[in-house]
Amino acid sequence: MADSVDQATKSVSDLSVDSPSSETISKNARKKELKNKQKEEERRRKEEEKAKQAAVTASSHAKKSATADDEDMDPTQYFENRLKYLAFQKTEGQNPYPHKFFVSLSIPEYIETYGGLSNGEHQEDVSLSLAGRIMSKRSSSSKLFFYDLHGGGAKVQVMVDASKSDMDEAEFSKFHSSVKRGDIVGVTGFPGKTKRGELSIFPKSFLVLSHCLHMMPRQKAASGSENANLKKTEAWVPGSTRNPETYILKDQETRYRQRYLDLMVNSEVRQIFKTRTKIISYIRRFLDNLDFLEVETPMMNMIAGGAAARPFVTHHNDLNMKLYMRIAPELYLKELVVGGLERVYEIGKQFRNEGIDLTHNPEFTTCEFYMAFADYNDLMDITEKLLSGMVNELTGGYKIKYHANGLDKDPIEIDFTPPFRRIDMIEELEKIANLNIPKDLASDEANKYLKDACVRYEIKCAPPETTARLLDKLVGHFLEETCVNPTFIINHPEIMSPLAKWHRSKPGLTERFELFINKHELANAYTELNDPVVQRQRFAEQLKDRASGDDEAMALDETFCTALEYGLPPTGGWGLGIDRLAMLFTDSQNIKEVLLFPAMKPQEEAPTKVAAA
Amino acid sequence: MEAVKAWSLSLQWQQPLKLLFSPESVRAIRLQKIEELRSKGLEPYAYRWDRTHSANQLQETYRNLENGEEVNSEKDHVSIAGRIVARRAFGKLAFLTLRDDSGTIQLYCEKGRLVSDQFEQLKNLVDIGDILGELSVYVNSFAILTKSLLPLPDKFHGLTHVDKRYRQRYLDMISNPEVADVFRKRAKIVSELRKTVESFGFLEVETPVLQGAAGGAEARPFVTYHNSLGRDLYLRIATELHLKRMLVFEIVVEPKLLQPTFVLDYPVEISPLAKRHRRHAGLTERFELFICGRELGNAFSELTDPVDQRGRLEEQIRQHNKKREEAKSETDSAEEKKKDNNDDDDEEESYEVTLDDDFLTALEYGMPPASGMGIGIDRLVMLLTNAVSIRDVIAFPVPKNQE
Repeated sequence: MADSVDQATKSVSDLSVDSPSSETISKNARKKELKNKQKEEERRRKEEEKAKQAAVTASSHAKKSATADDEDMDPTQYFENRLKYLAFQKTEGQNPYPHKFFVSLSIPEYIETYGGLSNGEHQEDVSLSLAGRIMSKRSSSSKLFFYDLHGGGAKVQVMVDASKSDMDEAEFSKFHSSVKRGDIVGVTGFPGKTKRGELSIFPKSFLVLSHCLHMMPRQKAASGSENANLKKTEAWVPGSTRNPETYILKDQETRYRQRYLDLMVNSEVRQIFKTRTKIISYIRRFLDNLDFLEVETPMMNMIAGGAAARPFVTHHNDLNMKLYMRIAPELYLKELVVGGLERVYEIGKQFRNEGIDLTHNPEFTTCEFYMAFADYNDLMDITEKLLSGMVNELTGGYKIKYHANGLDKDPIEIDFTPPFRRIDMIEELEKIANLNIPKDLASDEANKYLKDACVRYEIKCAPPETTARLLDKLVGHFLEETCVNPTFIINHPEIMSPLAKWHRSKPGLTERFELFINKHELANAYTELNDPVVQRQRFAEQLKDRASGDDEAMALDETFCTALEYGLPPTGGWGLGIDRLAMLFTDSQNIKEVLLFPAMKPQEEAPTKVAAA
Repeated sequence: MEAVKAWSLSLQWQQPLKLLFSPESVRAIRLQKIEELRSKGLEPYAYRWDRTHSANQLQETYRNLENGEEVNSEKDHVSIAGRIVARRAFGKLAFLTLRDDSGTIQLYCEKGRLVSDQFEQLKNLVDIGDILGELSVYVNSFAILTKSLLPLPDKFHGLTHVDKRYRQRYLDMISNPEVADVFRKRAKIVSELRKTVESFGFLEVETPVLQGAAGGAEARPFVTYHNSLGRDLYLRIATELHLKRMLVFEIVVEPKLLQPTFVLDYPVEISPLAKRHRRHAGLTERFELFICGRELGNAFSELTDPVDQRGRLEEQIRQHNKKREEAKSETDSAEEKKKDNNDDDDEEESYEVTLDDDFLTALEYGMPPASGMGIGIDRLVMLLTNAVSIRDVIAFPVPKNQE
């Protein structure tokens, strides 16, 4: 199977090669050719030097004229002009959107292959084709244009010279004045370096593949700092800091609503999403290696179970039935363990009908896994292995930097070296807050005690003041605040954990842990409650909280309870928020930074056709 | 260990007595057994279990034992865990069949070899369906890990009621082990697809499920409501699946396409996102892959011209609104006949479709020549697992009949 994949891959990559590759020419032959061309080279170098000189002297002027061309025009007018140009091409019988352009090398491959050329060296015997987006255009005269061609996260200069083109001079200058910053082009020519050492491609043919009809966002500062920004951002690696305020396109609304612009001009952004993909693929590999089976469970259910959250409601027309979007896959996954799939996991979207803020999006991605015959102690070990291994693979070490206190403050360091700290929830809370909580947490006495404690410490708890909610507030205030490096808060009370098994030695508590990093919950896991009688009791208690107004209390799922009656083996269950993990590794303080298309509040007007930088 | 090569003797044995009891009475009896276990200080719901082998690993490791041969050195002491799916006991001897994720194995339980009073426990407290951990195949000791409260379906291979199979997929899997294989294969298929596209250099991404506007005019979307935004949201749909219905072609040709076949170059009218054909006017550069008379894949050169795209989407909306108007007037005239008869076909176009301006704006910034492909995973899994119904390859299909 691996072979056939390799073969298929090869045949696919072959699709994009249109001529015998330059690599097939032996080094000796290449040297010989080069010698023969030395004179020609010499001549060219002089010419090019002249041109470059001209470009440099003209550059301030060129910059101005480009500015006049691209930026001083009214955006609507600019758009209209471009549309007219397209329409004109079509009436001329030309297709402004070619169906196919054969690319022989990606731009990073090009840089890798020809980056070693010496200054001023040209390989005119080589012909190859590159494609990408033009992010910068300069001209020294109507006969000589310089473009920056971007693709695959890299850029290369395109130097087009009228004397080397298939077109005559008038045609050439007319054509290149119609090529705009933002256009996607394909060029075919030979590789070389300018005398100043800039790797370039010198095209014989130049084809616009897709037109950018709007003005592209541009950094207001000089082009020098644009390059500096590009260089800096290319060096970004997961676990290091970044600062979106230095981006070429800064406006958050535009970045999130028109993500394609963000990806185009802010080169770090593509690394963010590559990192996200790597995180998910690491988890998948880790679990596959432990013989877990990846499964898919329904996103629309008759009951929104497995967690406590407000669900989205929808309607199935054909069945004339109300359905809820899932808030967690937990109950289905446990049913599969009952069915004999001893290790299962699902990576997918959950949906919660709640407000949008820095850490919440209505749809978000989780990984949940269930492992028969394991308990929460096993899962803590697995969590440490998974996360420390992941940080090590992504960053080469165990520590990451994160702007926990805002971009204007120094970043903090988060250390993933195992083992992680473990703190016993109630025990530690009593110690830190100097409390002596009544042992029967389900009692009115305990409720009153915690209410008083909240008042004393001026901790607000919105009604209903159930014991579970009061405890949650106190833990948030006293314990979570101390969890900067990865920390397990363990042994939650039964009243807070309706699906977790009672602790084997501590009455009233469960075998549960939550993993906190940078004071935020990343993962939640427990030895699964598999006694159906106790499970029904727990659901009944949740119902009481519901009656008292806590609409985030869990709903009874009869189907699930029946499944438990057939016998769920001892099982450890685990859930992780992928988005929050991606935020940590990419120094993102806003969940929108790690979602390609985050949910946005409705805006009145249509998206800005021209994005302000 | 004490492993014998007698495992194949009685795998399909059933317990006829069970037929006498209703699930309710079985449940009551077993709840009593739970009480009894707890009164003896035994927990009927254990916390964890260390296994040294899966059933299948044992079968492999000790394949070469002669009939009746035993090995009993320290390193042969093994530990397994799984569900008891068959059981028979006579006198001082009992045979249990244990099943785990990997397969089954027979357990030989002899009173004299079991520690303390475990043989009595085995006879009285262990039922079919329980999850047990065992320290050897010639059993030295065992522990109940999870007490099962309900009887497994009457016949060992006997869960045939289709609706029940889908609703209680776990019972389906316990009764029909080959069902789990379908989902193992499904995971494998998805994983191979993923590996293949990754090897081509593709990046896996996640795009929204909830959207502000109904994406296309072709399919009726699910609608939901976001409380804090105070607005309707639509669940994403697979584009163009429904357009095919317009094709007379589908009826005539598709059932005959048994071998993998690309059907090429569909008309522009039914391919609103595909690029116009470079040579044939009125057609697009598109193909659909048919296998066994079913569509498996759909792909095209993507339309990158924003002007053409805008025109096509606007036309789609015009068509949709026209149908909507027609349906509405039909409904109005039919209203006096029967009021609640209008919730099916008449409402097919009742939702509103808006122009996706954000998408068009993106195209206006320039999209490179590109091609796109969609593959229906469920159908692919059906094909590769010889499944008749899509419900056989979905772990928890939406139940058809609501009681």
